[in-house]
Amino acid sequence: MTKFYNLPLQIKIISIYIFANLLILIVNIFLIMGINRMTLDMGMVYQDNRHLNELSNSLMDVQQCMTNYLNVKTSDSLEEYYKKAQKFEELYEDLNDEVTDISFHRMERNIKNMSRTYMDEVTQTIEAKRGRNVEKYRTHYENATQIYDYIFSYIRSLNIEQFASNSRHYNRLSKSFGVFETVSVSAMCLLMVINIFIITNFVRMIIKPLRMLADSANEVADGNFDVKLPEVVIHDDIGIVISAFDKMLFSIRQYIDKLKESMEKERYMQEKELMMETHLKDAQLKYLQAQINPHFLFNTLNAGAQLAMMEEADRTYEYVQTVADFFRYNVRKQESLVTLGEEIELVDNYIKILNVRFSGDIHYEKKVDDSLLQTQMPSMILQPIVENAVNHGIREMGDKGKITLFVYEDESDVCVSVKDNGKGMSPEDAEMILNGKWKCKENQYDNNGIGMDNVISRLQLFAEKKDVIDIISSKGNGCEIIVRLPFISQK
Amino acid sequence: MSSSKKNLNNKIGRRLLLTILLSFILVVAIFIAMTLLRFNMTRKENLSEVGSYDKYYVMITDNYKSDFWQSVYKGALEEAKKNNTYIDLLGEKLSGNYSSEDLMKIAIASKVDGIVISSTESSHMAKLIDEASKNDIPVVTLYIDHADTSRISFAGVGSFNIGREYGRQVLNIIKEKRKEDFMEASKMKNRKTMQIAVLVNSDSKDTGQNLIISGLQETIMGDKTSDSEFSVSLVTVENTNAFSAEESIRDIFLKKEIPDILICLNELNTICAYQAVVDHNKVGEVNILGYHDSDMILKAIDRGVIYATISIDTRQLGEYCVTALSDYYEIGNTNQYYSADVTLINKDNVKNYMKKGEDNQND
Repeated sequence: MTKFYNLPLQIKIISIYIFANLLILIVNIFLIMGINRMTLDMGMVYQDNRHLNELSNSLMDVQQCMTNYLNVKTSDSLEEYYKKAQKFEELYEDLNDEVTDISFHRMERNIKNMSRTYMDEVTQTIEAKRGRNVEKYRTHYENATQIYDYIFSYIRSLNIEQFASNSRHYNRLSKSFGVFETVSVSAMCLLMVINIFIITNFVRMIIKPLRMLADSANEVADGNFDVKLPEVVIHDDIGIVISAFDKMLFSIRQYIDKLKESMEKERYMQEKELMMETHLKDAQLKYLQAQINPHFLFNTLNAGAQLAMMEEADRTYEYVQTVADFFRYNVRKQESLVTLGEEIELVDNYIKILNVRFSGDIHYEKKVDDSLLQTQMPSMILQPIVENAVNHGIREMGDKGKITLFVYEDESDVCVSVKDNGKGMSPEDAEMILNGKWKCKENQYDNNGIGMDNVISRLQLFAEKKDVIDIISSKGNGCEIIVRLPFISQK
Repeated sequence: MSSSKKNLNNKIGRRLLLTILLSFILVVAIFIAMTLLRFNMTRKENLSEVGSYDKYYVMITDNYKSDFWQSVYKGALEEAKKNNTYIDLLGEKLSGNYSSEDLMKIAIASKVDGIVISSTESSHMAKLIDEASKNDIPVVTLYIDHADTSRISFAGVGSFNIGREYGRQVLNIIKEKRKEDFMEASKMKNRKTMQIAVLVNSDSKDTGQNLIISGLQETIMGDKTSDSEFSVSLVTVENTNAFSAEESIRDIFLKKEIPDILICLNELNTICAYQAVVDHNKVGEVNILGYHDSDMILKAIDRGVIYATISIDTRQLGEYCVTALSDYYEIGNTNQYYSADVTLINKDNVKNYMKKGEDNQND
């Protein structure tokens, strides 16, 4: 049954239309058949009377022919008589000869028997006439004529009786016709009501999902994408539309989700870049505050180096040159990213300068895996760590202070370890440094102003993780600071 | 499939089913209505009750419309149907007015299986009865006998007994009159002779009628009452022409001497006499002795206009006719004479008969 409902809309509408029309057609055929039969019946009502009239006409003909023959005795008239007699016999033999409760039947029986008697008499009359037996044919003629009168009278009576009965029948037929008319009109009205019922039902059933869909669409238009769509029960055109709408809604929802996600990501990235820049700017600002006009200083140092070369003071020349390189690095490397090699070179230069200043007190050792030198990292990271190690670790140790720099690969990270054998610090202090809560003393001399918290923040931003620095230390046992860099080669 | 979907599917299915059912019912209803209509139409007469019969008899009387003959006919028909035979009151359905002789001829020409005839005696009729017998149609004479013909049987009443019954009633009337006269002494002196008029048909050959008169006379004569107290006269009523009977009876009342007792020997005369007595304001003066027990006559007895009436068991009479014919066919012979019962109805027992009449009508 649902098969029908799954048909295309067009076929469904046409089917309903055909069904309704078919119903009308069937009912009409019935009604027309009824009318047809009734008309036939009405036509047959007076059939009996017609038959009787025919009989009486034939009887008259026979009597006429007999009289005619008796008058003129021509062979023509005899022949005519035989014809008429035969016809009359055929007619009366058709009559009923049963005795029943119906008076018509008994009358017919009497007419039939009288007709036979009559024909006997007539035959005998004709025979006698041919035999010229005047006496005999007169008697028979009189008898025949008398019976003729009786038959006539009988037929007339029967005719009248039948007419009355047939008229009653006719009246009943007319009444039936009237009733039939009423029945027909009622049937048509009923049919109309049923048709209206059927069509209304079907149309409502077809329209209902469409209306529900429209409601849902309106809700979607108001911004509610989580609207519940009407269930697709009937897989017709409307069902297809509903399914399509459902799909569309689903993909719109998906698209919106994707859009939201990518916007979130972009916002995050922008924030990150902004913070990096802020920290770098902060570092540079502090650096510039510390080294006022490094360009001038660097150019001055260069001039000093050339002077020392001209005076053939090689050590002085080298020292000044190192200082110049150190400052040049600071001037040049204002971009955010540098290689690990460049950072290590800066540390080398810094140690050289310090060794000149403190007349070679610091023992500096490095073990570097050369393959990792191209690793990318933010600038100004290692030098502040080494500076801290010198200032806070080994300053007061004289020529026993030692700083070791290791670069090695650990799992997927590149580790840079700066180890000193200074006085070390307590794990609480180390924790405070890692959390950025360490407050360094203002106007501390001899540092370039970049604190550990700055270093850690920038490293965290760069590596996109929290765990970038480890401090391994205890009081009196030196300190090792390990920087973990993600392995990102310049290439 | 979810339950809601199932529900919806069911709903759709139900609706479609309902629709189809409705249309189907409509078509069937129209079909039934039309069949019923058609059945109603074709039921021309009540054909279902039509019986078919082996034999066909006819009854011929000179006055088939009268209550008396209708009653006889009814009895005959009932009896006939028991023997799977139908009997027609011939002439009833014919448009023309035919004499008994004509009807007899028709019956012979129609080759019926038996004829019951009640007709005045005449040579012509006797010939016809013989002719019927010649054509192998048995004839039973009814009420009036045609003894010297080849009729197989006669069904009638004991006319002589009827006459004697009339006589007894006449004597009763006389006795009552005398009692009255004794009460009123003045009347005793000029007590006059009782005039008794018997209305006889002009057809003197009616042997039944003659027998009645002789029975009547014998009874009155046999009584010890003196001859001077009454005189019996015959008043001839013309019955050969239509309506003449009524005129003849009226004539009696226009004469100077109006009879004290009127004895009527058939139903028609009784009713005419009754009406004449009422019209001429002679109720109580003229006593009528009637014939047959039609409703009108019974009513008149109840009112006291008619003194008494002779009731013939008409149904029995009809039955006898058919029995005679059936016997003839079955045995080849039958009784020569059947006599129907006769009862007297007067004021004392009229109520019973009126009730009976009503009951019969209700049947």
